[in-house]
Amino acid sequence: MNTAMISTLLRSTITRCLRVQNVAKIIGSATTRRDIHTTTPANDLMEFFDKKKNWGETNIRVGRPWKLDELRLKSNTDLHKLWYVLLKERNMLYTMEHECNDKMRLFPNPERIDKVQESMNNIETVIRERNVAYYQLETGETGERPVEDVVNLFGLREKYEKKEYYIPRFMNTRWVRPYLENGFITSAAVKKFYRLYKEKEYNVERKAKNKDFRHVQHLLKRFPDMSMETLKAEYPNVDIEKAKRSRKARGHFMPKY
Amino acid sequence: MSTRWYPIYQRGNPQLRVFLPNFWMKLVRPESKQLPNIVQFHCSMEMTKFDIKNYLEKIYNIPVVDVRTKIALGKFRRDVGKGYVIKDDDIKSAYVVLPKDMKFEYPDIFGSKKDDGEDEQKALSEAKKNFKNYIDRNKHRTDVPSWFTI
Repeated sequence: MNTAMISTLLRSTITRCLRVQNVAKIIGSATTRRDIHTTTPANDLMEFFDKKKNWGETNIRVGRPWKLDELRLKSNTDLHKLWYVLLKERNMLYTMEHECNDKMRLFPNPERIDKVQESMNNIETVIRERNVAYYQLETGETGERPVEDVVNLFGLREKYEKKEYYIPRFMNTRWVRPYLENGFITSAAVKKFYRLYKEKEYNVERKAKNKDFRHVQHLLKRFPDMSMETLKAEYPNVDIEKAKRSRKARGHFMPKY
Repeated sequence: MSTRWYPIYQRGNPQLRVFLPNFWMKLVRPESKQLPNIVQFHCSMEMTKFDIKNYLEKIYNIPVVDVRTKIALGKFRRDVGKGYVIKDDDIKSAYVVLPKDMKFEYPDIFGSKKDDGEDEQKALSEAKKNFKNYIDRNKHRTDVPSWFTI
């Protein structure tokens, strides 16, 4: 009898343990499966085409693009996976668009490409944010492509985004000779260009100013009782008293003295 | 980072570290008849043959034996209205050779699907319905033009 009891106890405990294990397994599987959702990879050239049920459709409804705030919650690996999902989707859409154009068909819902592109841009923004944060924490620099203020060939200031060259700067005699030794900036041609360029800029500014002044004169002619504060706010760089005194600002009526 | 400009040289291997490639490839119908294991793609202009091979093998898991590329010059044409010259974009084509035993035939996407007549019928019936609504709405004011409304 004792043995029978022990055996039943054992059996019950074993089954309970098994059940507990199963429950643990199920819970475990449920938690681990909470990854980013992807479709099963087909690993085929047919991945370049849309699903078969969408072939020849005229209206294909899809969701909205990924937002920045949603992507900021994702881990780097998730973003990396999502990038490839979107990349494949974009390739698929490009392929279908090309085929539609070839066959003289309308490509259904072309905004799908824009949506995918927006999602990809957002991913890139988020990744760039993280990269900048990491670099600033570790090195104190942004880690972005370095930008330099330079004076270009025409003697004008510009932002120069640095890039890689085949040979280092000191070996690049073709660049060094004219640029450093003689200097484009000091050459007569550049000086002449710069002078004429400045003149042109000045003339544009002057003409705009004169145009405003004339416009104010005519406004004063047509609407002599208008609010001077509003006029001053609208055209801050016009001398309104001077415009009032001018002959053009006088209307075709007898002056009130 | 990504391939916004071609990855710069870094010491050590692998040389081309690309984390977020923005290369695109599209599978196009072959211009001329090809062997069954040759597939034609259009791809980003910056892609090299190695890029194409890696792209297909790593991202799409497609075995690639050989890649040949060509760059087709875009057509020069005149704008119909203004007459100035327009140059179409150049296109980089890649002819990808698959293993001997693989075959690929470009699918017929618009082949045996319903024709556009159904959609036209749908649009026509929709237009009819809208017109009927419009008539019903304005039946008590026949002498007033349609734009005179709230």
